[in-house]
Amino acid sequence: MKFRTLLIVMCLALVPFQAFSQDDKPEPGVFMKDPGAELWRQVRQRDMEGVGISQVRGVDSGVLINARGDQWARFRMTQLSTYGGFAIAGIFAIVILFYVVRGRVPIEGGLSGRMVKRFTDYERVVHWTLAIVFLFLALTGLILLLGRPVLLPLFGKEVFSLMASASKEGHNLFGPLFLVSLIMMLISFARRNIYEKGDLTWLLRGGGLIGEGHASGGFFNMGEKTWYWMVILIGLVISVSGLILVSPSLGQGRVIMELSHIVHTIGALILMTVSVGHMYLGSIGSEGSLEGMKTGYVDINWADAHHDRWGKVCHEQDLIISAEEYARLQGQKPGAGEMETAEQSK
Amino acid sequence: MIENLIDGPLWYFSLAVFVIGVVWRLGSIIFASRKQDLSVARGAAGPAAVKTVFSRFVPHKEIASQITVPIVAGYMFHLGLFALLFFAAPHVAFLEENLLGFGWTPMPHWAFIIASQLAFLGLIMLWVRRMVNPVSRLISTWDDHVAAILTFVVMLTGCFALLEGSTGLRLLHRFSVELWLIYFPFSALMHTFTFIPSRAFTGAWFGRRGIDA
Repeated sequence: MKFRTLLIVMCLALVPFQAFSQDDKPEPGVFMKDPGAELWRQVRQRDMEGVGISQVRGVDSGVLINARGDQWARFRMTQLSTYGGFAIAGIFAIVILFYVVRGRVPIEGGLSGRMVKRFTDYERVVHWTLAIVFLFLALTGLILLLGRPVLLPLFGKEVFSLMASASKEGHNLFGPLFLVSLIMMLISFARRNIYEKGDLTWLLRGGGLIGEGHASGGFFNMGEKTWYWMVILIGLVISVSGLILVSPSLGQGRVIMELSHIVHTIGALILMTVSVGHMYLGSIGSEGSLEGMKTGYVDINWADAHHDRWGKVCHEQDLIISAEEYARLQGQKPGAGEMETAEQSK
Repeated sequence: MIENLIDGPLWYFSLAVFVIGVVWRLGSIIFASRKQDLSVARGAAGPAAVKTVFSRFVPHKEIASQITVPIVAGYMFHLGLFALLFFAAPHVAFLEENLLGFGWTPMPHWAFIIASQLAFLGLIMLWVRRMVNPVSRLISTWDDHVAAILTFVVMLTGCFALLEGSTGLRLLHRFSVELWLIYFPFSALMHTFTFIPSRAFTGAWFGRRGIDA
């Protein structure tokens, strides 16, 4: 007990007297720069005013810590991947909702069975090659962009590391194939995708999907032409930015790489979201559309309904073939064409 | 466990199936009994056989313009695959360590990338053309599609394992190669070897009859 009392008295003696005097003003402290903080400010080159000196010769070799890189990483991890994920999920939701509300757009008058040639074999090879390469790049790109928040919790670290590593290698290898396919697409389809008189009318009528009015179109309508030029122009931007990213030894600095990455990802997300709409309208969304890219031929009623100006030319130049002739060209048994048409019309 | 299986017994099994199967099928073609040709020979069969083996590498002028895609894509794919198979650095090292005991100078990394891109683009275009061209689609069997897809998978897993830093991806590639080797002798992939006797037989037959084809 005595010892405890003694201890309390000793502790009170150690407390400065000023602590108990509330009225006295504290003595002004001496302002001293923290030498550590100043050192790290210089090391991080936070103000971006100067670059350090290094014996190493190379781009950005004088930069010890890239402060802008933090901004880019935060943007990539928080905004880019989050909004990108929402964009992809959102477009699927919109397409499903549209299908539920609007259903499959039927051909006015149904399928006639009489066909007209729309695309050559080469044009379809170019289209599907670009489509396959694009889908592969989209899938691997999404794994790289959204894998950490979406796939990692599902599959665990080991499996996800395999997926991410494989995706990166596959994405880098297939990237230049996209550029080659894009150039083939540009050469094959550019002439027919030049805007012409009447295209704006198609746009004002919502392409025939909105409202009841008929939307007049040529060989390609305004929507298809816009999608085509989007693919070409954004595709070129994606390709060039992608080549900058896979060739870090060409002399570009970190800032250019970071900007390229952002441009590459945003461009790819735009193409991916719009491509979902393209795939929907080219398949289940519109009756008879897929046939053009599948067999090279479309039903003349489909041509009249969606591309009436081109359909008129087909009528005038007598380019329409019978169901029997179409079946023969496709190597089908006699009568198979009519059966298929009847099935499709149901 | 699975690593030992893929690197060990399954590898030797697939290699044995491949070698025995290819020898068996080639032997059955070469030594198949044929009726003796009693017609009077109008030309030499031997030189015509050799000539045809090489002349078929160039398409006939009459049809060349109609088969541009298969010609260009075909050469892209086959030359690219040949370069990858025999001159990719990991393959050269693998053949030296596991099969041959000697190696050769592999191609540089940039050449590897270009060769694989040529092979991929060629294979995709060939397969798409097979699907969209009515004649090609009609004469294609499920075996043609399986062979094309399996070859694509082998190439794809190979490109996935490009960094050689992951055991899982290396095993995936090796496993796909083993499936490919087992499937090879019983499929359209045999054209790798049969194109030579096939062309030679046709050339000899025409040559003996004095046909310049």
